[in-house]
Amino acid sequence: NADDGKKYRWKLAETWGPNFPIFGDATKNMAKMVKEMSGGRLTIRIDSSNKHKSALGIFDFVKNGQYQMGHSASYYWKGKDINTLFFTTLPFGMTTSEQYAWFYHGGGMELMKEVYDQYGVMSFPGGNTGNQMGGWFRKEINSLDDLKGLKMRIPGFAGEVLAKLGAKPTNIPSGELYTSLERNTIDALEWVGPSLDLRMGFHKIAPYYYTGWHEPATELQFMVNQKAYDELPEDLQAILTIAMKTAAYDMYTQSTHESGKNLATIQQDFPNVKIRTFPAPVMAAIKKANAELLEEFAAKDEMSNKILTSIENYRKQARQWTNFSDRAYLDSLDEK
Amino acid sequence: MLLIHSLLRRFIDLVGSLCSLLLILMIINVFYDVLMRYMFNDVSIALQELEWHLFAAMFMFGIGYTLKEDGHVRVDLFYDNFAKKKQLLINMFGTIVFALPITAIILYFSIDYAFEAYEMGEGSPDPGGLPHRWIIRSVIPASSVFLLLCIFYVVLDNLKSLLELKTEGAES
Amino acid sequence: MNEELIGILLFGVALISLFVGYYVGFTFAGVSVLVGVAFLGLDLFSFMPYRIMAIMENTTLMAIPMFIFMGIVLQKTGLAERLLESSAKLFGGISGGVAISTIVVGALLAASTGVVGASVVAMGVISLPVMLKNNYHQPTACGVICASGTLGQIIPPSIILIILGDVMGIAVGDLFKAAVLPGFMLVTAYALYILVLGKFKPDFCPPIVVDEPKSEIIKQALKDILPPLVLIVAVLGSIFSGVATPTESSAIGAVGAVLLSIAYKSFSIKSLQAVSKETVKVTSMIFAVLIGATAFSMVFSYSGSEYLVEEFFLDLPGDKWMFIIIAMVAILILGFFIDFIEIAFLVVPILTPVAIALDIDLIWFAILISMNLQTSFLTPPFGFSLFYLKGVAPSWLKTSTIYKGVMPFILIQIAVLCLVLAFPKYLIIF
Ligand code: NA
Ligand code: NA
Repeated sequence: NADDGKKYRWKLAETWGPNFPIFGDATKNMAKMVKEMSGGRLTIRIDSSNKHKSALGIFDFVKNGQYQMGHSASYYWKGKDINTLFFTTLPFGMTTSEQYAWFYHGGGMELMKEVYDQYGVMSFPGGNTGNQMGGWFRKEINSLDDLKGLKMRIPGFAGEVLAKLGAKPTNIPSGELYTSLERNTIDALEWVGPSLDLRMGFHKIAPYYYTGWHEPATELQFMVNQKAYDELPEDLQAILTIAMKTAAYDMYTQSTHESGKNLATIQQDFPNVKIRTFPAPVMAAIKKANAELLEEFAAKDEMSNKILTSIENYRKQARQWTNFSDRAYLDSLDEK
Repeated sequence: MLLIHSLLRRFIDLVGSLCSLLLILMIINVFYDVLMRYMFNDVSIALQELEWHLFAAMFMFGIGYTLKEDGHVRVDLFYDNFAKKKQLLINMFGTIVFALPITAIILYFSIDYAFEAYEMGEGSPDPGGLPHRWIIRSVIPASSVFLLLCIFYVVLDNLKSLLELKTEGAES
Repeated sequence: MNEELIGILLFGVALISLFVGYYVGFTFAGVSVLVGVAFLGLDLFSFMPYRIMAIMENTTLMAIPMFIFMGIVLQKTGLAERLLESSAKLFGGISGGVAISTIVVGALLAASTGVVGASVVAMGVISLPVMLKNNYHQPTACGVICASGTLGQIIPPSIILIILGDVMGIAVGDLFKAAVLPGFMLVTAYALYILVLGKFKPDFCPPIVVDEPKSEIIKQALKDILPPLVLIVAVLGSIFSGVATPTESSAIGAVGAVLLSIAYKSFSIKSLQAVSKETVKVTSMIFAVLIGATAFSMVFSYSGSEYLVEEFFLDLPGDKWMFIIIAMVAILILGFFIDFIEIAFLVVPILTPVAIALDIDLIWFAILISMNLQTSFLTPPFGFSLFYLKGVAPSWLKTSTIYKGVMPFILIQIAVLCLVLAFPKYLIIF
């Protein structure tokens, strides 16, 4: 039942706006590969957020079949099902390569399938941003006291972690972020990393750029409506799966490239920007708050417990090797 | 018919007053949030979310009330020169051909939309945000039902005026 | 059915239906249903709840009801009237005094919000009655309000600049800075126009009769101008000092207006009820238009008509000035029919790489586009400012009066646009 001679025209809804760099390239890249590999038997039209007007409606669109596919990030669905949170990244979690290893060889894909199956949605890795920066701060963070009362735009789980330490996660419409940061309505915000932060202009108003802790390996997500997928002939299914996997990896390399390039730009053109890492006691406190919160999650939900246990065990095992390979290698080189 | 007409009118006015209340609550809500953040450095995501919940419910139900009050804007380039009867017919026609189908369609599709959030127990994804997203999602179908009532009222009202116009015409 | 035909049909039917005179919001929505269901199927409308929710969740739009509320309080208490008349008297009773005060207030509102609907409607309730009472030429009064109400688009903070910054990959702060001078030029050009008009057609914008002695006027003016001025300072100050976000500042304005009316002893529970009812109606009118427009743009874009627009822009010439001029004219014409956000997302991503290739300064180009899009709020038939003003104007004021009134201001906008076009270097002096 490989080639039934039928032409399939699919539509994909993405969270991003049109021509959004890197994230948007991943979907275009995937659609192009599918079209070429299938000889035009499967074509995928991409609708950006300006068209469907609902950046965070992607899950519902794919679930209900209004779109056969979606491109977004799993942790956006945390409000719908807490277990979707764990398939994007976790504070103090795995690095990108460790996490890919977990997905494809450590049982991650199977767990993700278990979570998404109940909604008739298939979820696949959709491209990684690499380690995200901890955000732009107007003032330096020297101690835990500096975190207390810190008004920061930091959505989702990471915001919850900081809230435990007395920070004040604050909702600001994205169009008002710049003005709010510039005028001290908020004290800090997190966005992505050099690859995408530069165009927002935050470096002009917040001199402290903190290294990451909360999103060490943000993995985006391709979603496919299960019914639509089942209707495809087997060879098209294989083509689609390969294209998604390749596009995800391509996005990771592109992110790495853009981050390196833009970081150089920031360092060269904006010497006022000071790149900082939270002091060790602050890091330790955040880490502790994070662990406590995850424990609460695990206690509340059987599935959460199962996923978190899998992640934690895998991280420990993979980290051993990361330490002996990449970390040891980098440490052995006398360069900074 | 007259009884239904006047009962409906009173009910729509009541919902209209409720919208005014939502508006005032919303202003107080936003003002309070600013005050707390500035004076006491205290931010509540739940209260921040409540702002747009109040705002959304206010204008969604307000659309029907405004229809009844003839408060929606129109391009009157030609409309003003039409005879009263023609104007009434345009209103009746517009309400049935333009307003009714879109309202019915929105109602039809929004029931599932709201029910889905209920089924999944969807809440805010942000720390300390409001639970029960289905409540705000239900505003869409609920306000559509209310708008249907208002549409019914407007058609009835136009019909009434048309009949009155006819009797006047017969008398003179 | 052919894509281009669906798009043309959609606009044609909407245009005719609008002129028949049924409510604007429902007409947009109704026509979208008729055309959409006929050619694209009912299922397309399963997107409506999502689109409505996107409007409901858009907290930037919350400024709309709160600014309207502030405007209506200032109007009902007579504070607005006294402010505008007194400041007009301060100008020594020159022709056009009230109009110029209106422009100044419009510019101040613009500096506190980027939402056009909010400022047009607030200005409509604050200053239209005053100008009408003082026997202003009706079209001119309407034109002044629509034009100064749209200043919010160019004077930062501005929604369109934020969207352009995102789409073109420019830092928002740079755009905000670059927009200050063009915004100031527009304000000045409007005021100059009124002064010239007052000179040649004094009965178009009659001066306020000044019969009291100078000292008396100044005393009265201080009494009338100071309190609302405090309010304006509170609104703007709350943004600039970081106490509030631009949206939240509108709540400070609303509460401040109520406090003022209490101070002036013109407050009562009854008047509060009346004001909030009025606010609900005007707000709902605007959001009905927004929901209708979102249905309309949904059918337009899902019919594939947008690809035609894309094709046109992909074929623009490769010469720098020809490219800029044709792009500007095309955006202006498109602005007659399509929402500015649609244009920003549809057209700008196509233009940006070409502009980069032609070595055009992106910030300057973005300012040109945003000024151009600002004009689209004023251009009939689908200029939203016109609908909004019509919605709050007394019912005897005709749409044709508003259409006539905005014409000179559209020309002024185009003239200032050409000026910015001609002198790119002077743009970024701040
Ligand atoms: Na982020
Ligand atoms: Na503005």
